[in-house]
Amino acid sequence: MVLVGTPPSDTDGERGLLRRARTGDPAAFRVIFERHSPAVWRFLRDLLRDEAAADEATQETFVRAHSRLGALRDEDRVGSWLLGIARHVYLESRRTRGVHVDVADEEHAHQVEAVLPTPSPEDLLLDQELAGLLTEALGMLHAERRAALLLRIDHGLAYEEIASVMGWSLPKVKNEIHRARLRLREQLAAHVGGGRP
Amino acid sequence: MSTCRESELDALLAGELAPEDAARVRAHAEVCAACKHALTWQRLERGWMTQRARREPARPALSFSALEARLAVAQKAPAPVRHARREGQWRHWGKMAMAAAAAVAFVGLSLPRGGTGVGVGVGTEEPWSRELLVVTGVEACEDAAAALEARVGACLIASPMLALRAD
Ligand SMILES: [Zn+2]
Repeated sequence: MVLVGTPPSDTDGERGLLRRARTGDPAAFRVIFERHSPAVWRFLRDLLRDEAAADEATQETFVRAHSRLGALRDEDRVGSWLLGIARHVYLESRRTRGVHVDVADEEHAHQVEAVLPTPSPEDLLLDQELAGLLTEALGMLHAERRAALLLRIDHGLAYEEIASVMGWSLPKVKNEIHRARLRLREQLAAHVGGGRP
Repeated sequence: MSTCRESELDALLAGELAPEDAARVRAHAEVCAACKHALTWQRLERGWMTQRARREPARPALSFSALEARLAVAQKAPAPVRHARREGQWRHWGKMAMAAAAAVAFVGLSLPRGGTGVGVGVGTEEPWSRELLVVTGVEACEDAAAALEARVGACLIASPMLALRAD
C-alpha cells in the first residue's frame, strides 16, 4: 500500500477522508475509524448492553464499512451511515444470540400516567447514581425505540437520517422517539426535581 | 394543541429550524406550559447524554491495528455467502486477525452495494396531555440551567456528537 500525498489529520473533512479511503488509503480509513468508533461502540453497547459484544460488533461494523465505502452516496453522512451498519450488525448479533424479546417495555398502550416533575437545575449534573439509573431506564425501552432515541439524543442524527437508518417513515420516527422520551422520563421521574431519595 | 410537538421543540434545541419556524416554536413554548416543561426535560436529556459520552473511557479493544488485522483476514476469506454465515465468523475472525496482525496491509476495496432504504409505516407523534404535567418553576429552572452551564464550563444542552466534534 502506497500512501499518496499528505497524511490525513483529524481536522480533514469527511468528504476528503472518504475519497482517500476509497482509493485504498489506510491512513484515511484510520482517521474515520478513530473519529467514529467511539460513537459506534457506544451505540452498540447501548443496544447490546454488553461491552465485550460491543467491541466485537464495532470491529464488524468497520469491516463491513470498509468493504462498502463505494456504496455511500451522501459523503457528508459518514456517521449516520456507520450507525446504520452498526444497527444491522446488532440485529444479526441479536438473532445469533437468540435474543428475541425485549425487556419490560410498554406495548400495552401505555400512556404517561405518572405526573412528571419539573427538573431542577441540579438534575443537569449526571452523577454516578443518576448515570446508572439512566442506563437502566434506557435498557427498559424496547430495543428499536431505544435505538431511535439514542440516534437522536446521543448521536445527533436528524429525523430524516434516523428514518433512513431505521427503515421507518418520518412520522413513525417522531412518534417512537416521543414515546421513548415519555417512557424514559417516567422511569426517571422519581429521581428528578428534588424527588431523589 | 396541534402545535405541541416534541420533535419541533427538539429541532429548536438542535438549531435545525429555519429562523421563522424557530421564532414560532419559541413563541409558542413561551406561553405553553406543556411545551415549556418538555423543553426543560429535553435540555436535561441532552445534558445527560453529553456528559455520558464525554465520560466514556477509551476502549483498548477498539484499536485500529486489530481492525487492520481483521480486514486482512476478511479480504483473504472467500466472499461470505449470507449474513448468517458471517455472524458466526465474527469471533473466529477476531482470533485469526490477532494472529495475523503482523502481516497486515490494506488492499483495494471491494464495493458491493449497500445502503438503507426508508420503509413505510404510519404513526403520529402524540401530543402530550397538559393535565398530566406539573409545570411549576419552569422559568426558574431554565435560568438556573444557564447559570449551571456557566459553572461547569460546558454547554449542557449541546448534542453529544457536536460536542465531541468540537473537542
Ligand atoms: Zn405547546
